Amino acid sequence: LPTDADDPPYLQASAVMRRLRVSLHLAWRILVYEKGRTALALGGVFIAILLVFIELGFFVAVPQGGMLVYDHMRFDLLLASENYQYQAQPWQFPRERLTRAAAVAGVATATPLYFGGGYWQDPKGGFRLDFFAIGFDPAAHPFAVDDIERQRDMLEEGDTLLVDDTTRPIFGPLNSGRELLINGRRMTIGGTYHLGTGFLGIGVAMMDEANFFRAFGRRNNPVNLGLIELAPGADAGKVAAALRQALPADVQLFTRDELKAHEDSYWTTRTSVGLIFGSGLIVSFIVGLMVLYQTLATQIARNLPEFATLKAIGYADIHLAAVVLIEAAIIVAIAFVPATAAALALYAMIRSQTLLPVMLTVPHLLGVLAAVLAMSAGSAMLSVSSLRRADPAEIF
Amino acid sequence: MTALDLPRRLMPGGGVPLAWRNLVADKWRLLRSSAGIAFAVLLMLVQLGFERAFFDASLSAVRALDGDLFAMNASKYRFGTYDPFAHRDFDAIRNVSGVASAAPLYAQWMAFWWTSPVDNKPHLVRVFAFDPEGSPVFLLAGIADQQSLLKADDTVLVDRDSRRFLGMDGDPREGKINGQTVKVVGSFALGPDFMSDGTVVMSDRLFAKLLSGGRERPQTLPVETAVVKLKPDEDIAAAKQLVSAALPPGLVVMTKPELVAFERKFQADLSSAAPIFFLGTLVGFAVGTLISYQIIYTDLADRLPQYATLKGIGYRNAYLVRSVLSQAILTGLAGYIPAWLLCLAVYRIIGQVALLPLRMTWQLTGISLFLTLAMCLLAGALAIRRVIAADPAEIF
Repeated sequence: LPTDADDPPYLQASAVMRRLRVSLHLAWRILVYEKGRTALALGGVFIAILLVFIELGFFVAVPQGGMLVYDHMRFDLLLASENYQYQAQPWQFPRERLTRAAAVAGVATATPLYFGGGYWQDPKGGFRLDFFAIGFDPAAHPFAVDDIERQRDMLEEGDTLLVDDTTRPIFGPLNSGRELLINGRRMTIGGTYHLGTGFLGIGVAMMDEANFFRAFGRRNNPVNLGLIELAPGADAGKVAAALRQALPADVQLFTRDELKAHEDSYWTTRTSVGLIFGSGLIVSFIVGLMVLYQTLATQIARNLPEFATLKAIGYADIHLAAVVLIEAAIIVAIAFVPATAAALALYAMIRSQTLLPVMLTVPHLLGVLAAVLAMSAGSAMLSVSSLRRADPAEIF
Repeated sequence: MTALDLPRRLMPGGGVPLAWRNLVADKWRLLRSSAGIAFAVLLMLVQLGFERAFFDASLSAVRALDGDLFAMNASKYRFGTYDPFAHRDFDAIRNVSGVASAAPLYAQWMAFWWTSPVDNKPHLVRVFAFDPEGSPVFLLAGIADQQSLLKADDTVLVDRDSRRFLGMDGDPREGKINGQTVKVVGSFALGPDFMSDGTVVMSDRLFAKLLSGGRERPQTLPVETAVVKLKPDEDIAAAKQLVSAALPPGLVVMTKPELVAFERKFQADLSSAAPIFFLGTLVGFAVGTLISYQIIYTDLADRLPQYATLKGIGYRNAYLVRSVLSQAILTGLAGYIPAWLLCLAVYRIIGQVALLPLRMTWQLTGISLFLTLAMCLLAGALAIRRVIAADPAEIF
């Protein structure tokens, strides 16, 4: 065979392209030659990719349970106590901090929120259940939830509450008009809303602040959280800096991004959630790698005589490696499509079951694709090592 | 039966140990296939282990209670909720015949904040309190043998397995609870559950002092659970009837197994942990079946001429089927054993970092072994059609 090195540079480039085309062609022919085997390989890779998607979904989404309720609140900046832990343990701070915040230039509104853990019991008796209550002024529209906006009049009725419709069945029917003992006080369910309980508890209810104060024996001071909305056109960074300047050290300020980072890190590092799903993710990667390697190594082992023949007629190891790499890439690319579709369907199922925001974002999609391609390239390289041993003289 | 007898036992028909020889014929292939199966098994074991650990963590406090019978409010829907009953009702239990001792357990999950020496911030902790002069309430080493230390003023025992950010593991001498300084006189190992990050044990006097500023005395403090011990040889069921009869109708009496089952049912009904880890186990099983199918199928395809030869010289299909299935079982075991050993290390590491009671049990071993053999046999049964269809005349 004439060597490419003798050719002028522009021909060398085209020679590389030609070899690549040959490799591509060969890889494709191997795949379509034994359709049953290829289907089996595709099935294996499909499951491996789906497994990575599932574990990644849990790993990303479970901590987001902590953001669920925040994601449906209207605010640009969140004011919280210096002792703020996470949403269900926000601690408290003097209401005066909100008054001071509202006076800072660029702040449109500073709305207080009241949180409380209370007891829920049927007047006829039965279990006395723990539930989580949020008290607020409906006129301030802190929640971007249609059901809550729509039932504002109901919310303002005396001794009435709205209940999240994902409150667990142990709480009994959630039909409007049902009477309850809330912390021993008679209250009525005014209606339900669809938001999700996140990590607040197994039952969550919203109350007008006047009702909340009566049910929990509290006053409007101190408050648990403050929602700050900026005036149109105000620069969030500048206002945040001015607020931090104006407010004492007993409160802290979160932008939305900072809050998400805080809640995520609380659930991933402080609790065992991150470790549980993180280890699931790692094991899923290893299993995926095993499946890919097993599949590719099998394919190569089966074609070893043919590869040896190619070597004998002058093909270099690098071209055979290219064939294997291309074969791996084709299998992954084809299996990736149904795996993504199946992941989307599974995510939708998990979303409706748990109301966790399990989403397949573009970065995740690309991340998994890149990881799987890297894994397949890695296992292809591993299996190529057996190719190098393919001695034309010994194979037959 | 020793391990060395195993291949002999699995020999179909008593001739050549075909399945064993096939398995060990190619060491490199054996390594590859057992690694593939091993990681699928590890995935199942990790998921099953997490599911168990989740339940065990939430049951650990209940299991640590030292009593034959437990009396509590009938409205308690789980052990971990504050719902105490009047102290005067408790006093009636002591006079029931057959009762050796009855001790009041006081508890709070939402009212005590421990200032962590790590970040100097208050964190919610679970508190158990009892009379240090009375009979032991907990079986746990570190509590039962150190409870006399709690007789001194303002002394507490802390859980050294609490989440690290509480700083209870660093042998602290002093701590702050609800702003008041307390002396830490010892520690025990209980571990967090999914509601409490840490646990503090104290005397009933200190409990009353911290909660009500000393207005309430232990003698009138409402009781969370009455921990009752019976005299030796007392019939538990009969004693339960007697204790129930002595109490007002709003209270229930449970034996220890009933209390554990009650708590387990609550966790099973309300948490999404079981379906999440079930899904993980299922995926592990599917991946494992696919990997074993690929392994067995490839192996059969490679040895098809040999199988056809065996058929040609008069071996029946039943012999070949037995041989293939034996080999499937051996392949499964070759993956299972390293996975089981690796899992011990994984459980240990994750258990220590995540403070989860991850333990290898006979039950987990049995379930995972069953699943492993099931997936290999299923894969073997699917792949075997090729051998049965092998026509000696056509193969060559």
